Amino acid sequence: MSTVTLDKLTKVYPNGFQAITDLSLTLSEGEFLVLVGPSGCGKSTALRMIAGLEDISSGDLYVGDRRLNDVPPKDRDIAMVFQSYALYPQMTVAENIGFPLKLRKVAKKDRLQQVEQAAQVLELTEQLGSKPSMLSGGQRQRVAMGRAIVRKPALFLMDEPLSNLDAKLRVQMRADIAAIQSDLGVTTFYVTHDQVEAMTMGERVAVIKDGVLQQVAPPEELYDHPDNVFVAAFIGSPSMNLYEAALSAASGGEYHLRLGDHRLAVSPSVVHTRPGLAQYVDKPLVVGIRPEDLEDAAVAPDHPSDQRISSKIEVREALGAETLMHFNIAAPTVDSGDPDALDELGEEDTGRCTARFSAATRARVGDHIEINVNTDHLHFFDPSTHKAIRS
Amino acid sequence: MKRTTFLSRFGLHATLAVLVVWSVLPFLWTFQTSIKFTRDVAAKEPVLWGYETTANAYRAFWLDADDVNMWSVLLYIAVVAVICIALGQIGRRMRHGWPWFASVALVIFAALWRFPKIWEANDEYDFLINSIVVTVLTMIISLSIGLLAGYGLARYTGISGAVILIIALGFRALPRTAFVLPYFFGAKEIDDWLTRTGVGSWNFPIIDFPGIDTLQILDTRLAIVLALVAVNQPFTIWMFRSFFMEVPKEIEEAAMMDGATRLQAFRKVIIPMMWPAIIATGLFTMLLAYNEYLFVRVLAPTEWTLPVAIVSLTGGESSRTITEAAAASVSITLPIVVVIILFQKHLVKGLGAGAVKG
Repeated sequence: MSTVTLDKLTKVYPNGFQAITDLSLTLSEGEFLVLVGPSGCGKSTALRMIAGLEDISSGDLYVGDRRLNDVPPKDRDIAMVFQSYALYPQMTVAENIGFPLKLRKVAKKDRLQQVEQAAQVLELTEQLGSKPSMLSGGQRQRVAMGRAIVRKPALFLMDEPLSNLDAKLRVQMRADIAAIQSDLGVTTFYVTHDQVEAMTMGERVAVIKDGVLQQVAPPEELYDHPDNVFVAAFIGSPSMNLYEAALSAASGGEYHLRLGDHRLAVSPSVVHTRPGLAQYVDKPLVVGIRPEDLEDAAVAPDHPSDQRISSKIEVREALGAETLMHFNIAAPTVDSGDPDALDELGEEDTGRCTARFSAATRARVGDHIEINVNTDHLHFFDPSTHKAIRS
Repeated sequence: MKRTTFLSRFGLHATLAVLVVWSVLPFLWTFQTSIKFTRDVAAKEPVLWGYETTANAYRAFWLDADDVNMWSVLLYIAVVAVICIALGQIGRRMRHGWPWFASVALVIFAALWRFPKIWEANDEYDFLINSIVVTVLTMIISLSIGLLAGYGLARYTGISGAVILIIALGFRALPRTAFVLPYFFGAKEIDDWLTRTGVGSWNFPIIDFPGIDTLQILDTRLAIVLALVAVNQPFTIWMFRSFFMEVPKEIEEAAMMDGATRLQAFRKVIIPMMWPAIIATGLFTMLLAYNEYLFVRVLAPTEWTLPVAIVSLTGGESSRTITEAAAASVSITLPIVVVIILFQKHLVKGLGAGAVKG
């Protein structure tokens, strides 16, 4: 258990491909940090550099005061859980979990006891004599966890440990892993491409794209104050709707947001809380609307009428507690740069928009309806740098 | 899966039956010849049944006496076999099988060593020993090299790895006959040098080879083993490489994270996963070394192995040596048949793709 410092870690492959650029992060003792990003963004490479399975091209890696750049993996005191679990097929569960202890020449009696303890924590006691091929996916996953926790390392690395499980089990294991981690208090570096996993598990979440760190923050802050368009779109499901728009001053200190054909009234407080926004008046900018900031006007008729847009419902997804509505807005969408995102960029000048309505909505596919926009919660970004406009 | 009609199943089984007869019949014929008297073998009309049986041919090939009851020899072999099977069965139930398999090897060794002391054995018995030594050594050396090289080539993705593999494949594709004379002349050159310089007759102070007065290469088991290893190596390397390719890299990475060095990861995690591959490749190597004729004939004018010994019997047209040759063929085939039966499960597993997948 110790702090982990990544100082400007960079990975350049022999063919010149730069997988990671100047990655700097500090994990405090016992912290659960999640590194999240779309596939191929270099997050696994970062993990493997910490593990020692990839060389560090430049930059420094410290666990505590120890510089680990040139230390072989076996001496780093780091445990890793692999996406494929990488269990040893010819060994039983007990032998798998006890393998790290065996390599450290722990006496057989102590070894069995520690394996027993780990198995109890992971509820694997009954499976100790079975081979991995006889276990279910969730059990295999727990064996992989057991192999990591049995030796009480300084740092846990987890490389998408839940991605091979089915959805229901994933939710359960998510909670289990978080609980085990906080019980043991071991600093944990967790890599995933699933932003839900990142948001629910991480004390802090680091978003990475193309090997460059975008933002590190607690989940709520990441959601409410994304630093740039990519983070805004990547975090949250369904993702934020992003459009090219323009802000103009209206009479009485009010502002208007021109979103395609639509005009939305924006109260002065929105601009006051984001001082930087004043410079973007009458200039193009990118506006982001979270799906939950859109509501069926028929459900909430008290909403000011100048903060509405109208459109025709294209797709309706009733989820029970809420209803997702998809419709088009006559405004150009903005590409967030997430390679995993579906190509939802519709036709030119008409962008897809997703809204999260309350279940009380009566709107059906094909209906032309009015939609309330909570303009106080809009997100603004620079159109060329894609950075958030705040101060 | 309901598409297998009676007709297609019948056709399949009929084809298999024909194939079985086709491949087993020559062996049965040979076996029949080996237990006949020469007068029946030499008869104008083949005598297919109702003939008098004898073990004379076996006795003549293996033993140097005419009055030995062959049933006692058979009993000796049976007792050894029973002991080996018992040890093997115990070994299979134990957590660590290797001490039991080592004792099997020891029993076989002892049985082979005692045999010529109980019965007066012919020169052919030495050829059996030669066969065993050559086969075992060839297997050990070529499996060791093949495992390490195959692992290296499976994990190393650079261009030189591909070049090595292509070269190996090239050597495999060349006819083996092309190598025989170069090996022979190479060995002869070395021997000439050893005699010329006198190195061959040195008395090495520490390594004193028992029973060897002069150091030489030609006409030794060493020459045969070296040549067979060289010829067989491309095959083992390719075999093992394809097996290693199927072992996910994460497994050895996991072992390294667990605290193993690369060598420990290889030894304690990867090798135990590779047993089907080792057994399959080992069996092929065994067959190659055990059955080799040409290399032995050329490189070892007197230190023969069994196939060469048999051929020397079939050279003449005498019907006496024909039965002896048949007896010899049957006796050298049986050990291989036993080994194949014991390991056929592994052999099939090793040949099927995806054997190593967890």
